[in-house]
Amino acid sequence: MARIGVFVCWCGSNIAATVDVKEVAKEAAKMSGVVLSTDYQYMCSEIGQNLLRNAIKKEKLDRVVVAACSPRMHEVTFRKAAELAGLNPYLVEIANIREHCSWVHKNKDEATEKAIALVRAAVAKVTLNQELIPGEIGIEKRALVIGGGIAGIQTALDIADAGYMVDVIEKTPSIGGKMAQIDKTFPTLDCSACILTPKMVDASMHPNINLHTYSEVEKVSGYVGNFEVTINKKARSVIIEKCSGCGVCIEKCPSRKTKSEFEEGLVNRKAIYTPFPQAVPNVPVIDREACIKFKTGKCGICKKVCTAEAIDFEQEDTKIIQKYGAIVVSTGYDLIDLAKFGEYAYGEDPDVITSLEFERITNAAGPTAGKLLRPSNNEKPEKVVFIQCVGSRDKTCRGKTYCSKICCMYTAKHAMLIKEKYPDIEVHVFYIDVRTPGKNFDEFQRRAVEEYGVNYIKGMVGKVFPDGDKLRVYGVDALSGDTIEIDADLVVLAAATKAKEDAEELGRKLSISTDTNNFFTEAHPKLRPVETHSAGIYLAGACQGPKDIPETVAQASAAASKAIILLSKSKLINNPCVAKVDETICCGCLECTNICPYEAIASTIIEYRDHGKMIKKLVSEVNEALCQGCGGCTVTCRPGAIDLKGFSNKQILAEVDALCF
Amino acid sequence: MEEMISKMKKIAYEDLSTKKVDRVIGFGKGDFIYEANPIFISNLEEVDLLVWDLFCVNNLSKYLINELKNYQKIGIFLKGCDSLGFNQLVKDNKVDPDNVIVYGVPCEGMIDPNKLSKKNLLKDLRYLRRVDEKLIIVTKQGEKELIAKDYEYDKCLKCKHPNPVVYSELLESNTLRNSILTDDFEEVDRIEDMNSEERYEYWSEQFSKCIRCYACRNICPVCSCDKCIFDNLDIGVSGKAKVDSEDQFFHIVRAYHVAGRCVDCGECSRVCPESIAIDKLNRKIIKDITEIYGEYDAGLNPSKSSVLVNYKLEDFDPFETSKGGK
Repeated sequence: MARIGVFVCWCGSNIAATVDVKEVAKEAAKMSGVVLSTDYQYMCSEIGQNLLRNAIKKEKLDRVVVAACSPRMHEVTFRKAAELAGLNPYLVEIANIREHCSWVHKNKDEATEKAIALVRAAVAKVTLNQELIPGEIGIEKRALVIGGGIAGIQTALDIADAGYMVDVIEKTPSIGGKMAQIDKTFPTLDCSACILTPKMVDASMHPNINLHTYSEVEKVSGYVGNFEVTINKKARSVIIEKCSGCGVCIEKCPSRKTKSEFEEGLVNRKAIYTPFPQAVPNVPVIDREACIKFKTGKCGICKKVCTAEAIDFEQEDTKIIQKYGAIVVSTGYDLIDLAKFGEYAYGEDPDVITSLEFERITNAAGPTAGKLLRPSNNEKPEKVVFIQCVGSRDKTCRGKTYCSKICCMYTAKHAMLIKEKYPDIEVHVFYIDVRTPGKNFDEFQRRAVEEYGVNYIKGMVGKVFPDGDKLRVYGVDALSGDTIEIDADLVVLAAATKAKEDAEELGRKLSISTDTNNFFTEAHPKLRPVETHSAGIYLAGACQGPKDIPETVAQASAAASKAIILLSKSKLINNPCVAKVDETICCGCLECTNICPYEAIASTIIEYRDHGKMIKKLVSEVNEALCQGCGGCTVTCRPGAIDLKGFSNKQILAEVDALCF
Repeated sequence: MEEMISKMKKIAYEDLSTKKVDRVIGFGKGDFIYEANPIFISNLEEVDLLVWDLFCVNNLSKYLINELKNYQKIGIFLKGCDSLGFNQLVKDNKVDPDNVIVYGVPCEGMIDPNKLSKKNLLKDLRYLRRVDEKLIIVTKQGEKELIAKDYEYDKCLKCKHPNPVVYSELLESNTLRNSILTDDFEEVDRIEDMNSEERYEYWSEQFSKCIRCYACRNICPVCSCDKCIFDNLDIGVSGKAKVDSEDQFFHIVRAYHVAGRCVDCGECSRVCPESIAIDKLNRKIIKDITEIYGEYDAGLNPSKSSVLVNYKLEDFDPFETSKGGK
């Protein structure tokens, strides 16, 4: 007979206010196998844990049920406590009477009844629990960073400085990301390039960092500590090792019809190009879709002029297969497509631009050399209107429900940059709310209003109407109710940020989840903000949600430290709650191998003796290191040959039976 | 029919004597004229026992599982519907097709003795043969000409594959029967049209007849587990009590276990001694799969993974929500 101890936690008033914890403990004492049932204010506190440990020893408990918060929160805590008292940690079960009960119910009688039922289920399950012993696996001491923006660069530098090899995969020809496009950074207004480019160089020069630019993740297999990643290095058509970066090829290239991605389409680039002069690596790439040589077979001027003989039209995509212990995803963000916002005339009138285009126009290295000129006629504007929340906090299907977080600050920055250079230009900002939490952020925005005289108007713009040379902006001042009409020369739209289009696809490759907005989901919004649900895969930067540069860098270092913690271990402890095949029952249909999302199940042929004859039989075989314990296989298995340790069919059925008591 | 029998005997004799196979599974005559039983032949002198008539309804493919444990290479006579089951056995890794020679037998539809019996034709039946759509039967009273369709098994009336979909050798290249290509799921629609109470009543009544003989499971070519979950009391999903809830549970689980794999051969309903509409459950699932995932093709291609255990991005997803702004 089991000797089960039940510990009911009050969680302060979190549970005790809605659930009669004394009653739960009293009822639990009557349950089969329960020899001790008690309650305490904070089970997770030191006193609570001591209570549990002492009871295990004194009452010779061989099973423990803690009725408290979600197992996601403190299962590990109580398992450790039990282990310290000499009990196998997998003989501890949590009855979640907080998230599943007290937090979602109001009626105390009903909540108490439910809490008792949940405890009864946990007691029924724990009775069938068995001691589980986790295995150990080795760790590949190398990290992969996906995305070479500021998040990826910072992560890579930190991991590399800790002494581990890091590979950075960047989809575009250069690292740098969005930050490389930005002119000045808030709230200090220091030059973005001046703080970023040295880091880019550091990354490229670091002995522990390998940059794979113009490359993408093709396939990810394996598991924490032992990922195997196939990287597709796209054909650059320029041999990196030979190229001196002189730029003659770019100068002589006759193809000049492609819009520059880096310059946000404001100017054209050549078919052979480096995205920007400070690109790392400073090696051009041939855009094969634009290149005349690739399109018609004629041309090849770049090859003729290259004295380093670095041009290679025959270069092919190459695949690199590499093992990694940890992966950090830092793929960044994009701006939403404004096609659905016809009222702002974006795309219709060249003087309606996005804030990222504005960054290029105001940037000294940009197409206008930093002079504020209207794209339509290259003349200085007299009135500039900024419209915030274009697609942000938008509940309709054309926008995003969330706040893009960075727009209030960069719009204030843009307004100030204009006023700083051209005090005579009139600047108006339409806003819903000004949201500037952050160190020195609100002071920054107030400076725009108070010192620079930027006209902030609370209200939205209904229509931007191109009228001859002008842009007629119709808006409403929500405070006075007045309609406002401004003859603007330039309209800047703070387009909402969004997750990368291919985030979901990458997430699928990595087996990490994305939220409704396609941002990667962290393991816990408060306590595990840079981890994912897949062990060994971490998140940095705006791929997890809108973020500014300081936050991104902080998160990047956090993700790096998580990766370093993992890589610094000599061995990893496996989760012992993995699938197990009963070979005598397995019928060899191998449907479980098809359904397993982790490719953890393979097949093997076993031999057994049946009536004096040796018979060969095909059966499934679980790789315990790969298995994540999801249990998908157990429900696919018709004869019930595959079962999940710690969550066996019998245990689950016992819980169900107990709930239907 | 006689021609087919001599072809069968010839090929069985040849392959056994040349050691191409060391076992042949075919049909032999039972105690009554309206019975055809599986026979297992290793000796050349037993080849003469092979028959082929309008009662060879059994699907022999499932016998391969056990026979292959004792014999290296087996020749087997399979009809169209049987061949689907064979493919499914191959797909479920229960049968290695390299060890099997399939003699494909085109089928013209099998006759249901129960239907003959209802018309009192079974008694004194001496001989029966089919000429196209006509059924010629000879009894003590003399010869009678009937419409074959009236006496065929229900499952044969909906036959999609009168000719084997897989074979090593085809004994007759002509198609003896038109296949019914469009499936109207009429009988499923009728149940779907019921309201939930009516439906519950209908199925409760059906399942309450069950005597848990497991004939439906035993005959099923896709119920091929070494140890069925209903035979494994230790696993705790099923009890031995003959109560409605257990019977209902058995039938629902059985239907789910063959979901996406059922080759719609109708054998389960044919062998049920209580005439439970077992295949209607299967056919409801087939209908749903057809509607959700496109053409249902269990048993047609053993190398293709079953529709319910693979996931394609373009699969219909009823839970898909809009992803804001897309």
